[in-house]
Amino acid sequence: MSSLPEKIEQYRQVLNDLAAKTKNIKELEEVKQAFLGRKNGHLTLLFEELKQLPPEEKRAAGIALNNFKMEVQKTLAELEEQCLRPRAEKTVSDLTLPGKRIYWGAPHPLTLFQRKIEKIFVSMGFSVEDGPEIETDYYNFEALNFPPYHPARDSWDTLYINDKLLLRTHTSPVQIRVMEKKKPPIRIIIPGKVYRRETADPTHLPMFHQVEGLVVDRGITFAHLKGTLEYFIKALFGEKVKLRFRPSFFPFTEPSAEVDIECLACHGQDSQCRVCGGTGWKEILGAGLVDPQVFKNVNIDPEKYSGWAFGLGIDRTAMLAYEIPEMRYFYENDLRFLRQFNRR
Amino acid sequence: MNISYDWLKEYIDLNVPPEELAKYFDQIGLMVESTREVNGQTVYEIETYANRPDTLGHLGIARELATLFGLPLKMPGWQLSELEQSTFDLIDIQVLDSQLCPRYCGLVVRGVTVGPSPEWLKKRIEAIGLRPINNIVDIGNYVCFSLGQPLHTFDLNRLKEARIIVRRARKGEFIRTLEGQLVELTPDMLVIADDSKPVALAGIIGGEESGITEKTTDVFIESANFDPVSIRLTAKKLGLSTDASYRFERGVDINAAPLGARMAASLLGQFGGKVSRGLLDVYPNQRKPRSVPLRLKRISELLGIEIPEEFVTRTLTSLGLKLNEQKPGVWVAEIPSFRVDLEREADLIEEIARFFGYDRIPSEVTPTRSFELPGNQEQDCLWLLKETLLHYGFDEVINFSLADPEKEKIWQTGYQPIELRNPISSRTSILRTSLLPGLVENAVWNYNREANGVHIFETGKVYFWEADGQQGEELHLGLLTSGLKEQKSWAQPARETDYFSLKGAIEDLFFYLGYEAPAFEPEDHSFFESGQSVKILTKNETAGYLGLLKPEIRKAYELEKLAYACELNLADLFDRQPRAFVFAPVPRYPGMVRDLSFLVEAQVNFQAIDVQLKKLNVPYLERFEIYDRFEGGSLPAGQISYSVRFFFRHESRTLLAEEVERAMLNIISHLKSTLKIQLR
Repeated sequence: MSSLPEKIEQYRQVLNDLAAKTKNIKELEEVKQAFLGRKNGHLTLLFEELKQLPPEEKRAAGIALNNFKMEVQKTLAELEEQCLRPRAEKTVSDLTLPGKRIYWGAPHPLTLFQRKIEKIFVSMGFSVEDGPEIETDYYNFEALNFPPYHPARDSWDTLYINDKLLLRTHTSPVQIRVMEKKKPPIRIIIPGKVYRRETADPTHLPMFHQVEGLVVDRGITFAHLKGTLEYFIKALFGEKVKLRFRPSFFPFTEPSAEVDIECLACHGQDSQCRVCGGTGWKEILGAGLVDPQVFKNVNIDPEKYSGWAFGLGIDRTAMLAYEIPEMRYFYENDLRFLRQFNRR
Repeated sequence: MNISYDWLKEYIDLNVPPEELAKYFDQIGLMVESTREVNGQTVYEIETYANRPDTLGHLGIARELATLFGLPLKMPGWQLSELEQSTFDLIDIQVLDSQLCPRYCGLVVRGVTVGPSPEWLKKRIEAIGLRPINNIVDIGNYVCFSLGQPLHTFDLNRLKEARIIVRRARKGEFIRTLEGQLVELTPDMLVIADDSKPVALAGIIGGEESGITEKTTDVFIESANFDPVSIRLTAKKLGLSTDASYRFERGVDINAAPLGARMAASLLGQFGGKVSRGLLDVYPNQRKPRSVPLRLKRISELLGIEIPEEFVTRTLTSLGLKLNEQKPGVWVAEIPSFRVDLEREADLIEEIARFFGYDRIPSEVTPTRSFELPGNQEQDCLWLLKETLLHYGFDEVINFSLADPEKEKIWQTGYQPIELRNPISSRTSILRTSLLPGLVENAVWNYNREANGVHIFETGKVYFWEADGQQGEELHLGLLTSGLKEQKSWAQPARETDYFSLKGAIEDLFFYLGYEAPAFEPEDHSFFESGQSVKILTKNETAGYLGLLKPEIRKAYELEKLAYACELNLADLFDRQPRAFVFAPVPRYPGMVRDLSFLVEAQVNFQAIDVQLKKLNVPYLERFEIYDRFEGGSLPAGQISYSVRFFFRHESRTLLAEEVERAMLNIISHLKSTLKIQLR
């Protein structure tokens, strides 16, 4: 049976051996338990033994044991710090090197802009509708009060499939389709692709995107059209943007209006401005009260109901907003162009 | 339409200087496209509308300004120096088709000396952007751009038997136009003929043989009215558009014809012309003015503002309407013949709004009586789909729906393409039947411009003829991935894209959209390299294809790099309701993991193993994952080594090791008997 000081010496050896082998917190926890465990820890047992010693030995052994206890605690603390400290290969020598980034794809600018528009109208209680791109003459023209053979059709140069079918020249046919199956109140917007038989130039392409809006209810007025479109345009271009309503003509609205916003490039300051041609204004949408004939064509009584509608070119409006000079950029799909738009 | 400030002053005493007039035009909807100086006079280029033929002459524009400024309209009188003979003695007129020619007026002027126009007339002609020709032609244009009434002048002596017959053309007849073009006529076309043959295409262009020459002395002035649809059909058919046809197809004032003839005849008097007595006027079915009811109350109901009654009556009267009051605030308006556009109450209300000023109408938010439940799941699905793909690093593209039939043939999409009747070019003459050709073109475009990897997607429709001859439109998703997916950096090597990157994106797409996982079955397809494509199935129906594009296609587009692509039919997918989401409890008891490595014949693919394991329905098996696969090396030929990790868990207690061992034995024996696996 060895004496207490001898045992202390033995356990010091054990402690040192274990400390050398301990690599992680789990192993450290085992060492801690071995020495400090409440029932069988080495130190616990040694203190039990100390209590049994005769008083003359007790004092010196007590000092030695207390010293050993402090030594154990210090070693454990050092070991803990050592276990938590990262290994050299896990540390960075140059903290200024570029970080690792994850690439997110870019939404197409037209998708982005269409979504902006949709959000504004959805927040005003509009729902988003959809319709076919291959249309009949009836939905694209006749139901919208374009008489057959009328020169009004000339402004809507049409790509035909056959005598019956054509590519819709505007999103307005969806107005008719919705009003045919739904009774007022109606509050919808209709975004989508439209087609014109146009030769390509900076602001014209055979395919582009439009968004149509339609409200039908009792007591809808021109003042409501103005107020809602003003809100929409300010939500899109900012509170300070100036706009004006001008009389215009569309077969499917009466009275009709066109809405211009101030030129965002020159604010009317440049008589040679390439964006507005020096007029200071850019036309962005056509609108008006729904023509009574259109209501009759879908069996809605124009004496009971009135409504307003608008149509806006998404491409051209996005060109204004992002200062894009040519419409074709949208369809070239050059990644150096597209990827600018992932900065949503 | 070019409008001269000086010319307007013939009809209205403008007190606004030329440089300020443009903004007033805009205000009443006569949009000024440009303003310029021609020979010291201000000329405005004004956008006119198809329903407003009255604005195609200076008189009509002056009427608009007179209403806006509250000024009177001046109407000059036209003095005629007359001949002894009556018009009837000098020319014989027969109108055989009064449907297509509702009114025909004419006068003969004799003794005219053809020569250059005087300066004032030249200035007028130049103002509207035409070139002065001679006094007779210029007078015709002057009248046309004053009244909007097109005229035609014939050399009386070149009309056979001094006879004018307004009739339909006969089959096989021809006419050589003033522009020298020989035109074949058909019986749907209205012509002006003399005793033997057509001398003018009615309302469109005159014939060369009856036209005015240097030697002309006696002139027959035609001032007629023709049916708009007939003129439009003929002009379209012959590809002719003239200042005359442009006006007639929009509808010329039926009552302008007499004035047109008188005005031209009076002006010809300045060049020695003496005018036949008595206007010739064939107008068998006199038109009554249109009556349109108007209610004061309705004006405010539609415009959202009370407009003073006095303003309403003053404006409409100034525009030439006669208002007959029925009772207070209710009128019947008699519409002047020059306003072919005013047919309904709404048309009159637009006139009032236009002159009242759109800027004076208040702005109010549209009131709402009810809100619709948020619907249109397709829009939401589409956006979620896009967000998922953007997150995967795919950029979104949008291509034209118009496609090149030659190029699309290579793909053999299996759809019957829809051809356009009047395409802009042969390279855009059909509607696309697949999204992938566009994506391949985008890849090539970008590879030619510094890109070393292209990862793109598009959602959009494809178009085709259905088996029953109906047109079809289907929403598709196309994806293409090619080249470097991750660029080399100081921290990591470059990484090429591959088949599994694309497949993983598709798998996650179904997952994030809440749809059941699709099946992928190896199957050859016309787009892809043999043995390198799969069919994507949802609920046992084909939803699309995914694979490595075949070299023939890459060659046709000069795409050098390998490219993986996928096309999915979204229309069918979005028709299905995704599974409703409900939360699943988080596990409370620890799970157990077991690994299994085995060899299997190479023809057994992972899907076969997957199917067998799922079929077995092992108790407590939460999921399994393949974590290693290799072939070759020390393995026997034709064998593949798989390592699969199985995760077991009981939802309400800790599993016993024996339960898991029993499950593993069950798995092993099942795979041995069905797929002949050998444990490693």
